[in-house]
Amino acid sequence: MSGTVSAGRLERVEVRGIVKRYPGVLALDGTDVTATGGSILGLLGKNGAGKSTLIKVLAGVVQPDEGTIAIDGVETVVGSPHEATGLGFSFVHQELADVPNLSVAENVSLGLGYPTTGGLVKTRELRRRARGVLERLEVEIDPAAPLSGLSIAERRMVMIAHGLAANASMFVLDEPTASLTDGEIEHLHKVLRSLRDEGVAIVYVSHRLDEIFTVTDRVTVMRDGETVFSGATAEVTKPQLIEQITGSHIPTELRRRRVLPDGAEELLRVEGMSLPGVIEDAGFTLRAGELLGLAGLVGAGRTELVRLISGADRAAAGRIVVRGEERRIRSPRDAMAAGIVLLPEDRKTQGAVLSFSVRKNITLPAMSRFRLAAPLPMPSRRQERAASQDLVERLKIKVPHVEQPARLLSGGNQQKVVLAKWLESGADVFIFDEPTHGIDVEGKEEVYDLMTELAEQGRGVIFISSEFTELVGACNRVLVMRDGRLVDEFEGDRISDAALVASCYSD
Amino acid sequence: MSDNVPISTAELERRPTVGGVVDEPATSSERWTGIASKYGLLIAFLITIVVFSLARPSAFPTGRNVESILTNAAPAMIIAVGLTVVLVMQDFDLSFGGMIGLASGASTAFMVKYGWPWQLALVAALGFGLLAGVLNGYMIAYLGGSSFIITLAMGTVLTGVEFAFTSQNTVYDGIAPGFAQIASGQFLGLSNQIWIAAVIALLIWVLLDRSEIGRYMYAIGGNSEAARLSGVRVLPLRVLGFVIVGLAAAVVGILIVSQSSSYAPNGGTPYLLPAFAAAFLGAAVFRPGEFNLLGTVVGVLFLGVIQTGLTMLNLQTFVINLVQGGILVVAVLVSRLGARSR
Repeated sequence: MSGTVSAGRLERVEVRGIVKRYPGVLALDGTDVTATGGSILGLLGKNGAGKSTLIKVLAGVVQPDEGTIAIDGVETVVGSPHEATGLGFSFVHQELADVPNLSVAENVSLGLGYPTTGGLVKTRELRRRARGVLERLEVEIDPAAPLSGLSIAERRMVMIAHGLAANASMFVLDEPTASLTDGEIEHLHKVLRSLRDEGVAIVYVSHRLDEIFTVTDRVTVMRDGETVFSGATAEVTKPQLIEQITGSHIPTELRRRRVLPDGAEELLRVEGMSLPGVIEDAGFTLRAGELLGLAGLVGAGRTELVRLISGADRAAAGRIVVRGEERRIRSPRDAMAAGIVLLPEDRKTQGAVLSFSVRKNITLPAMSRFRLAAPLPMPSRRQERAASQDLVERLKIKVPHVEQPARLLSGGNQQKVVLAKWLESGADVFIFDEPTHGIDVEGKEEVYDLMTELAEQGRGVIFISSEFTELVGACNRVLVMRDGRLVDEFEGDRISDAALVASCYSD
Repeated sequence: MSDNVPISTAELERRPTVGGVVDEPATSSERWTGIASKYGLLIAFLITIVVFSLARPSAFPTGRNVESILTNAAPAMIIAVGLTVVLVMQDFDLSFGGMIGLASGASTAFMVKYGWPWQLALVAALGFGLLAGVLNGYMIAYLGGSSFIITLAMGTVLTGVEFAFTSQNTVYDGIAPGFAQIASGQFLGLSNQIWIAAVIALLIWVLLDRSEIGRYMYAIGGNSEAARLSGVRVLPLRVLGFVIVGLAAAVVGILIVSQSSSYAPNGGTPYLLPAFAAAFLGAAVFRPGEFNLLGTVVGVLFLGVIQTGLTMLNLQTFVINLVQGGILVVAVLVSRLGARSR
């Protein structure tokens, strides 16, 4: 079963009825996908539809619980990434999986065996081999150059060259055009077409519908881990695809549709926020009592934008006006002083100090409120305990006591601890970045309730979520981001899952 | 490559520990490993004292010997508690050996070579400590250098400056009596060195365990990005850590010259290992897996007791080395094993 399959062109890779369960999540629920030699297959689906898991199954990174993979009718087990390479599969991941400190040539032949003489690498031969495949791709990259000096587009080409050097017969590209310019995208498509014409099977995963129509021959749509549509690209229309991606049934169990009073005060105005290559000229306003959603696909720049507003990163340009007063925000401290707080996406690395107790986590941003005596910068544990105990009860954080280290808490409870530390900070603007990510249904409800409560107190809430139904249910208004820009705005009854998906996927 | 050592040590310190799990129902064996891991070092310390007292009843458990152990341990105590501050923030400082030497050499040169009043020489030595700390901190926190490499290099630079002052000559004459009095004088029947070490340890204990700054420092060590996003001024606090080490090293350098009324080149290097050993031993007691001030104090005293006790037993040097090293390893491992069982 190891990588000894002959390097001849494969005809079909058939994935049948793949099921993959993770604790509490059904990532794949009977997925069927067929890739054929000499054809480009577009693979579509919302964030969380199961595309990444499917790729991991094909790459041998995870093993499916049920289902089969058949290559030219022969059932095959892809036991490891090494076996996947041996079977002729090559992957170009969205996050580049190359070795930046090695040269282009070393990356092209990485893991394929370097030409050696007496145990020493024959550099000239190695470079010649790399030059050969790079020429086939019609890119001018010096094989001797270190990879770290290359652009993202060039690095993707090196990854494809690696696949060619491995004599791969199926390429799987995950969002290959992310952060590429139009010219680079065109060149990539040209390369893919010529590979296809040589008989290679290509799986092209993308959120960009226009590209799907430009480059693919067939298209498969996944939703909630299932394959819901497969067909020739020429025979479907964009609206049909969008309908397949969203699903016809839209669970719009509307939680709230509050209308803001006309005179609601403007809490936050953001103008011309920019960070070259990441965020372009983003501007919006947030009013008191408003729950503002921020929709977009992964990589659209939502997290990056709120990190600029909350001082976690520094913007290259832009104005932030809080309650009519322009504030210079160059650090999280500045943002806190202006009344803006961020609950970051990754609570383990950015939100909580896991070695700290619940009490110490909760009081960290506002230590001066818990002093033994006002001028003395020494915390009173009694006061800290009382305040954190109070918040633990209010937020229903499940811990035996507030001295429990945060690392022993479940994900949902950690999220609540991160929330608790900002709740009493007196901030006006709360930014929640994927607050329900990885927590159970009950926990999600509690997070929605909290955000609603904050809004009802007259604060402003910005809510980032990749689950659009959440935004539909919770928000007064939703902004859509695409490629680092704010491109659309929906308010009140115009907010719907279909509208958000259509907006996110259009080009 | 340059980051490997501090990071791997940091990883070691981040392992799940017993100290935090208080309320979970524990079986009696778990409770014993809990106690072993939390107080193992303290128990080993007490046993060592008892063993030496039984072996040398007339010499070891005496007031005079206690004072001698404390006096000898004072310089190591000062530098180890200073070092604990940077370790808490997951930084390293290997430059203090060189800084101790520079403070010795500079204060001697100012008094002997340039004829400054000893008070001024003292202030100048402390000034060097401050400066070295600021430089270390700036290069590491603001410019992003690896604390391991930067301080290693800084230690060499400081030793170079020391030699520029003294040309590596040993100096026996010309140390001002007032200066000598700092370390050799007494207060309330105890050596000034004991008092100085006690006051510095107390100040740093208040800083780390009782002040907001200390809480922030532990937050930086636990998760510096979360601390930054919570509004903690991460960079200045990291600089402060290096400044504290620099000042502590300067104090030690001054005490060494003062104690002996003489200067010998490169006097700081012998303190490197004991200071780290004490801090790491200390991270194995009270709050296992976390550097803490009381633990460091116990670590320093433990090392001092072993040193004195073994010397009193008139053992051969190689036996002293074996026993000293062996006790350290066992003490740390007992705590580690207990901590890992969770």
